[in-house]
Amino acid sequence: MITRPTTDALIADCCQELTEEILPALTDDTLRLRLIMTETVLRNAAVRAAHEIAWMREETAGLLAYAAAVAGVAAVAAVADRDGGGEPLRAALAAAEACPADSLHLGDVARRYERAGEAFTQALAAAQRAGAADLVARARELLRDRIATEKQVMASYAVVGR
Amino acid sequence: MDAPGSGSLGARLERFLAAAEPSRGGRVVACDAITGGYSRVSARARVRWRNGAEEAFILRGDPPPGSGVFASDRDAEWELLRALPAATSVSTPVARWYDRSGEYLGSKAIVMDCAEAVSLQDEMARAADPGPLTDLFVDTFAAVHAASSERLPPSMPRPADWPGYLDGVLAGYDRMAGQYPGSAPVLRYVAWWARAHQPPPVPLGLVHGDCQPSNVLVSPSRPPLVIDWEFAHIGDPREDLGYYTQIPLEPNVYWADPKRFLDRYRAASGLTEDQVNPQVADYFLIIGMALLLEQLLAAAAAIGAGRRPGILASYLVNAISHQHDMFLAICDRLS
Repeated sequence: MITRPTTDALIADCCQELTEEILPALTDDTLRLRLIMTETVLRNAAVRAAHEIAWMREETAGLLAYAAAVAGVAAVAAVADRDGGGEPLRAALAAAEACPADSLHLGDVARRYERAGEAFTQALAAAQRAGAADLVARARELLRDRIATEKQVMASYAVVGR
Repeated sequence: MDAPGSGSLGARLERFLAAAEPSRGGRVVACDAITGGYSRVSARARVRWRNGAEEAFILRGDPPPGSGVFASDRDAEWELLRALPAATSVSTPVARWYDRSGEYLGSKAIVMDCAEAVSLQDEMARAADPGPLTDLFVDTFAAVHAASSERLPPSMPRPADWPGYLDGVLAGYDRMAGQYPGSAPVLRYVAWWARAHQPPPVPLGLVHGDCQPSNVLVSPSRPPLVIDWEFAHIGDPREDLGYYTQIPLEPNVYWADPKRFLDRYRAASGLTEDQVNPQVADYFLIIGMALLLEQLLAAAAAIGAGRRPGILASYLVNAISHQHDMFLAICDRLS
């Protein structure tokens, strides 16, 4: 496989072509707007291509650890079982663990990440119902990390064309 | 309606006018797409009637099926536009004709008078002191919120009461969390937080749904004209305040002077400081964005499922991240 340029570098090159060579030649306002949007999407995709597998795997580990920790707190688990939330949490954890953990193929990583997110969500709901403030606060920290990653992808958010 | 840039829209409009106004002999002398709208397909047309008179119109139609990000009901918008003059003191676009079936214009499309006016957003950007324009903006939307519910279209959904309405919006976040796993952790957290931090209620009323100065047209010769009613509904008027706080166009006159903005709104609406304050405006960003966020998520999911709503859907994936960020920041600020 040709390692250089990397995927993000290839996409960045396309972005440069679009903005420096093609955009100046466009006179139709609608097409210009679409091209600017396209370039933004590509620029974000370049950031994702460079890091998304690592980011999702790192976050998956944190989400599953949280869900397992919540499931392991007897008081929370008791409330969850009483309210009918215990089984969905265990099922979500099992579904996430059933995804191949070692695969680095993007589809596999994304699937496991989504299922870890579901397990986290069930765990958070259980913590909220049980009034476990420390666990809710810990969940908030994980969400803070998630948003920090999303912000890296979107770089400088701006609205064009309005 | 034809996509912007289509050369055939003028001819289609001419055929439509021949059917709508058969005795007037309208000829379309210009028809140009309007860029910048994120929702409907819009065009500006100039028509010369047989008697020599000329009129300018705005055409506002649905994008081709399966494309676009934001969906709204053109029948409902038409009914509302026709009802608004009797329901509100605010000036609204004169809706002239409606291609209800899309037979002539390619999709359901409303034809309305084109006002000789400029965007209040542009005026604010040019103003050395945007304060008076801020007051105008606030007063205009306070007047929107004071619309007579009895005179709004009977088909407009009317929530039974404030708690039920808010519960419904927050249940919508749970529904979104169930459908869109990438956003579920944030949305579940935010919905839980919002249930626990409800502000004092206010009377339900008309909510514009896209409250921003770009949707107010101004001219020295006429009162401000409020446009783009497609997301209007009966709900909590403070949704419009919260929604405006996230509009990223400069200047955002709320963030320029929140105290002035909210003092003015309270004075115009009669609401109390408990009901309208910076924390409440923050809270209602979450409530006021619910409908549009759901549509953003649906469009992103469509791309993931191999459909192609258009480049806007991919472009606005960033907006989803932006909403996540703002929502969690609000939870932190108000906790």
